[in-house]
Amino acid sequence: MSNYKILGKGIPRIDTPQKATGDALYTADIKLPNMLVGKVLHSPLAHAKILNIDVSKAKKVPGVKAVITRDDTFGEKWGVFKYTRDHQLIASDKVRFIGEEVAAVAAVDEETALEALDLIKVDYEPLPAVFDAEEAMKDGAPLIHEDHPNNINIHVKIDVGDVDKAFEKAYLVREDKFTSKDEGYGMLEPYAVIAYYHSDGSIEIWMPNASPHTKAKALSNLLHIPLNKVIVRRPTIGGAFGGRSDIFPLDFITSLLSIKARRPVKVVYTREESMICTRQVHSMVMYAKTGVTKDGKILAQDIKVIMDGGAYSSTGPIAASVPFLVWEETYKLENVRLNSYRVYTNKPIRGMYRCHGRAFLGGLGMQLDMIAEELGIDPVEIRLRNALNPGDMQATKSKIYSCGLKEAIKKAAEKIEWDKKRGKLPFGRGVGIGANGMMCGFPMGIRGGSSCFVKFNEDGYPTIISGVIDNGQGNYHAMVQIASEVLGVPPEEIHIVAGDTEVTTLDVGAYSQAAVLVSGNAVKKACEDAKAQILKLASEMLNCSEDELDIENKIVFSKKDKSKQVPLHKVIRKGLIENRHVMGRGHYMPEVSNDREWVKNPVGQQATTFSFGANAVEVEVDTNTGEVKIINAVGFHDCGFPINIKGVQGQYEGSIASGGVGSTLKEEHIFKDGKVLNADFLEYKIPTSLDVPENVYADAVITNDPKGPFGAKEAGLFGSMNSFQAIANAIYDAVGVWIKDFPITPDKILKALEEKRLKDEG
Amino acid sequence: MKQLIKLKVNGDEYEIAVAPWKTLNEVLRKELNLTGTKLGCGTGDCGACTVLVDGKAVNSCLTLAVEVQGKEITTIEGLAESEDKLHPIQESFIEKGAVQCGFCTPGMIMTTKYFLENNPSPTVEEIKKALDGNLCRCTGYVKIIDAIQDAAKKMKGGK
Repeated sequence: MSNYKILGKGIPRIDTPQKATGDALYTADIKLPNMLVGKVLHSPLAHAKILNIDVSKAKKVPGVKAVITRDDTFGEKWGVFKYTRDHQLIASDKVRFIGEEVAAVAAVDEETALEALDLIKVDYEPLPAVFDAEEAMKDGAPLIHEDHPNNINIHVKIDVGDVDKAFEKAYLVREDKFTSKDEGYGMLEPYAVIAYYHSDGSIEIWMPNASPHTKAKALSNLLHIPLNKVIVRRPTIGGAFGGRSDIFPLDFITSLLSIKARRPVKVVYTREESMICTRQVHSMVMYAKTGVTKDGKILAQDIKVIMDGGAYSSTGPIAASVPFLVWEETYKLENVRLNSYRVYTNKPIRGMYRCHGRAFLGGLGMQLDMIAEELGIDPVEIRLRNALNPGDMQATKSKIYSCGLKEAIKKAAEKIEWDKKRGKLPFGRGVGIGANGMMCGFPMGIRGGSSCFVKFNEDGYPTIISGVIDNGQGNYHAMVQIASEVLGVPPEEIHIVAGDTEVTTLDVGAYSQAAVLVSGNAVKKACEDAKAQILKLASEMLNCSEDELDIENKIVFSKKDKSKQVPLHKVIRKGLIENRHVMGRGHYMPEVSNDREWVKNPVGQQATTFSFGANAVEVEVDTNTGEVKIINAVGFHDCGFPINIKGVQGQYEGSIASGGVGSTLKEEHIFKDGKVLNADFLEYKIPTSLDVPENVYADAVITNDPKGPFGAKEAGLFGSMNSFQAIANAIYDAVGVWIKDFPITPDKILKALEEKRLKDEG
Repeated sequence: MKQLIKLKVNGDEYEIAVAPWKTLNEVLRKELNLTGTKLGCGTGDCGACTVLVDGKAVNSCLTLAVEVQGKEITTIEGLAESEDKLHPIQESFIEKGAVQCGFCTPGMIMTTKYFLENNPSPTVEEIKKALDGNLCRCTGYVKIIDAIQDAAKKMKGGK
């Protein structure tokens, strides 16, 4: 497989001892001297004009140190893109969803802050509201942002080949509608922010985040503070799953409170606030028309999808595009049309998610299986016939480099014993398969790259300085393993400083599946740079050429003559005394088309490279209760090369739980007139230990990507992204019904079984 | 009105003034600065706040501080056997890759401690039932279950 010393092994992660002892500090754990407690007033109305906000009584409560409203801002709006700047991060003229932030208080303790909140008087003029994306698009629907007709926030249009002509040639055409409900992220850590404004005009801020430099940029714009004075610190982070990517109102509000009070302020959101006022996940309606040849090759596809984006843009253009991009990263689509609408409604704001697009990817996967059945082709076979190969070009012109998609599909089928089981298990049991590709990073312009420094202390121990952030997936450890492999220093002896905008340079963050490829390449290059300096110094000490030297266990030695060796710290010290300090530098910019733009020009290389994976599941459906149990789940992941195989497995195990059990079978936010009725862990049902598959098996497909650090690519997202189709397909195999609305809850299965029974009986 | 209470946490005695409605979670985290115990929901649904009271696992977010006076309280900070020797459960969670974001980990470990003391040789099914009040969003529980099996073995001297 490989001759790596450190890579590929499932060694324990460097960040986990702190987490297992309670040492690790998450944002809410951090306490600063003289710190105040902040509380936020949220809108009780889904859509209303704000006529007046009276804070005079609140300000008079003893112990209240700051009250802020729209009047305390520069009036700037924020959006991830210049053309999506629609959000002021504290309500100004209107409120647009129940829970929107209207005012906030900082006080000496929580009771005082709550008392003051009660005394803030807001006069609203209620406006008609709309809670359904298709309704919101109709003429005459209430306008949520006056400058967006029909409430269309984003329309992504892609039209490749000649779709209409290709449909004419199709042997079979199917049209289906698939839907999915609103979802939540369910990270265990409630959202929390600490802001500390200093008298030198700088501000320190802590919050769970997936990209400290992205947070800093937004705060810099909104607060009119230059970037070098916006210091986003690095707390330990309790999960993200796509839901900690962009700026949130609480980041801004806590900063304003600290600026006004001139003291550090901490706001910890309750579970309910966390589930409503950070991000939720889009619900979707998708209409898919697919034409195929007699042997099941996709000839033409016309897809219309409507996503409920909630009240503001967030990462709108990205959200509107990604499900399609994942689809085109999987199969050869020569004639394809997409009309993707992200629509404003009076609901909480929706963002990117690791299971984003269950109606889209689950739906298209299901439709492929329906087509396969009509043509008498096996679901595994139809996937293999359409799957991309290395060297292929995707529909919107991204080239595929390494690609183990077909191998992953075959291995998943073999491991689940597809040939023995598909269509052959007793009624109530079935197997299904799903597959997809995944971009290793989005085109993000100047924010898409990463750089890294390596410094050595005089004792020979190195420190890696990288802008990468770790939300729990193991990014710090991956960087340390890469550094360890290059530098010949054991992982536990390397220190990493990461995700702190005071010292780290611009980095893409733990966002868009880019960390291993982008940040990892930067770390590798910086370590290679440092190593070259070390070997040069050592070659002078050992009187030999640099080429014959290597480093292992902090000893520099000659590969030709092992008696020639010198401890690393002596080499470092020689550099220090001779004014040749060992300082490694590395940077990496993804190889993407920088003129590719989500809406205006969705053509060109979107990521340096792509990872792939396939999932197969065996399910048992209880026909009396409609409950689905996943008995076996197997995942094969072309992650290029697994830097840490345990990490790759852990990603799949978590993905099949949240994407498979959670998104596919259980999770859904329930609303009444725009109010979330289940913003808690009792009624919003994330999987428990009793819900997860009985047996989970995960392995890597090794393709050694030419662009990835040590051949590595993104690891983890396939497990959730294609579990929808695998499970829906297995349910069909088990009981013969297709459920086209996610989540596939027991009531839907029972209803479908009853309809099937009536139909079968004629 | 605050009242003076005595708490014994991880073997240390504390005398503190607290309002009678303050939960054990708030007192541990805010008064005693023992922030290893987390707060995930505040309504007893997620288990991230689990601590031991007289050896029994409880949700500290649903327990009032005044209720547990005179009882032995153990938090994640008090679990290691010595300064340089972790508890076998902590070791197994680290070695088996059972920790990802780590927010559920202290609660998971405390629940496991109570569980294994009462059931030293559990089946997988019993482990799953024991964990059903502790939510984890990252791991899918697979490696947590591995870790608990491994810890059970270690606690019985490797058998």
